[in-house]
Amino acid sequence: MLEDRVLLWRFKGGSREAFCCIYEKYVNDLLTLAANLLADASSAEDVVQDVFVKFVESAKRFRLTGSLKAYLATCVANRSRDYIRRNRRGQKVVANAADRTIPEAISPVQLVMHNEQLQRLSQAMTQLPYEQREAVVLRLHGDLRFRQIAQLQDVSVKTALTRYRYGLDKLRSILNGEVEK
Amino acid sequence: MSPSESTEKLIKKLRYQANAETRQRILGNVLQTLDESEKDKTGVVTPNIRSIIMKSPITKLAAAAVIIIAVIVGVNQLIGPVNVTSVALADVLERIEQAQAYMYKTKMSTTGTGMPGMPAREMEMEGTATISNEYGMKMEMTMVDANSGEKTIQEMYMIPNDKVMVMVLPAQKKYIRMEFTEDLLARMKKQNNDPREMVKQIMGCNYTELGRSKIDGIEVQGFETTDPKLMAGMAQHVKLTLWVDAATWLPVRQEMDIQVNEQMQMHGVVYDYQWNIQASPDAFKPVIPEDFTAFPAGGMKMPEMNEEAAIEGLRMFAELTGKYPKNLSLLTLMQELSQELVGKLKDSQSPASEKLRQAFKQAQSEDEKAKKLVDMMKPVQSIGMFYMTLVQDKKEPVYYGESVSPGDVGSVLLRWKISDNQYRVIFADLTAADVTAEELSELEKALLK
Repeated sequence: MLEDRVLLWRFKGGSREAFCCIYEKYVNDLLTLAANLLADASSAEDVVQDVFVKFVESAKRFRLTGSLKAYLATCVANRSRDYIRRNRRGQKVVANAADRTIPEAISPVQLVMHNEQLQRLSQAMTQLPYEQREAVVLRLHGDLRFRQIAQLQDVSVKTALTRYRYGLDKLRSILNGEVEK
Repeated sequence: MSPSESTEKLIKKLRYQANAETRQRILGNVLQTLDESEKDKTGVVTPNIRSIIMKSPITKLAAAAVIIIAVIVGVNQLIGPVNVTSVALADVLERIEQAQAYMYKTKMSTTGTGMPGMPAREMEMEGTATISNEYGMKMEMTMVDANSGEKTIQEMYMIPNDKVMVMVLPAQKKYIRMEFTEDLLARMKKQNNDPREMVKQIMGCNYTELGRSKIDGIEVQGFETTDPKLMAGMAQHVKLTLWVDAATWLPVRQEMDIQVNEQMQMHGVVYDYQWNIQASPDAFKPVIPEDFTAFPAGGMKMPEMNEEAAIEGLRMFAELTGKYPKNLSLLTLMQELSQELVGKLKDSQSPASEKLRQAFKQAQSEDEKAKKLVDMMKPVQSIGMFYMTLVQDKKEPVYYGESVSPGDVGSVLLRWKISDNQYRVIFADLTAADVTAEELSELEKALLK
């Protein structure tokens, strides 16, 4: 955290190297976050690039009040929603896939998947209602607190927690074969 | 370990590991943006187009006004004569053509930027429109910039009888009065941002019937088109869905998704129609309080939409940027101009660049700079609007801006059909001539080589 503040301070002072450190530190986490939200690797890359572009554009005015990772994760979540909204006609990005079959080839996570269980989990993630998927992904990959997720989703902390729990339960059910895919 | 914990643990393993090449590519793109923004900041002599527009909300709106008109004209006019092939849609058209005045509400969200020099942003707009065949159109709009939270309220009046559009900006105590050219007026007179035109447009496109559904308890029949003809020359992708009351055949709701280019998307909904209302002429006359001032002082004129104006615009674009625009879709070419200017205006030695730098230097205020910028954009807007008219009039325009360079003598830059065997050509050296179909074929073959 302190390191992030120092990096940010140096970046604001014009250090390109500081920005590269921030980028290298978080790019994979943010790509993971976006890929799990969007279920599409190239969309995830677009979103993460957009987030960093906005970040460099606004860095001078930017005041960090919490953790940098949480801030960037929130930006990725917001951008991903926009991306889905924008591409709601497009076929690559899957918002709510509960009633759709997702071709296996489009899941980015499969690129690094080594076992069948993870493949099934990745597939199952795309079947969660988007709000639940977002809560699960932000909590487990973005390290956001439920308070922060609630704020982002504009719901109560209890609702965010419920979405998270329901999301986990549904994933478990799908993996256990209790829910029809 | 509890089942939840084990699921959580498993989810944490769903990681996406980008390879080094991907990471470098993204980093490269971001650093390029950083370089550009730094270049902007160091450009003491360079007129910073973005900052000029950003500093002046009025200019933002003035420049937007031209685009609004273009979009309205573009959306409503690009289809041309309609072949009535659908009994159902013909019924809808017949019913709504009987309406002399009506109202509707609309919501539109825009992502990206259609404004030259403006950073990408998200804008939410809500409005109420009143339309009268006799008096014109009035639209009250509230726009919220999602990035800054800035809220703008404006009233727009289209008054065909006076050949003007007036935009009143209460917060700024200003108003914009824009005169239409005869040509534009003729193109606009037939329709005023009018749902009837949407029906005609769908009828002129390939569309599908969606069958029955229910909206707010009303049984509705849907029609949908994704035919690019819907906004020819203006948008890369478009989808329009119209829901009409299955009992009255009057529109109930209209949804539109438009992707203008890679940067700009719009999603709009028109709803809450009230048909056959009583329209009072006074409602269509803008009320401008005495302490409001005109911006710009002398009023504005829409850009010309003829060949000469288009050639002038192409000349200016080429002088400012050293090349021709990649395509002639109005919004895309203005974005391209803006991006090129930010990078090149400072160093360009062309007369047009020098003239622009001098104009900015002499400007006494930000408003004056802004006005000069709006004026400067006009010839470039002319290109896009002229191209729109060629598409609209089904003159089969083809543009080769990416294949030819300024000054290429004898290379076709833009051509369109003027009669069965005759084409008009603007060459890359910006001369123009009529050629036969055979001659054109030879010229275009030479381009391919």
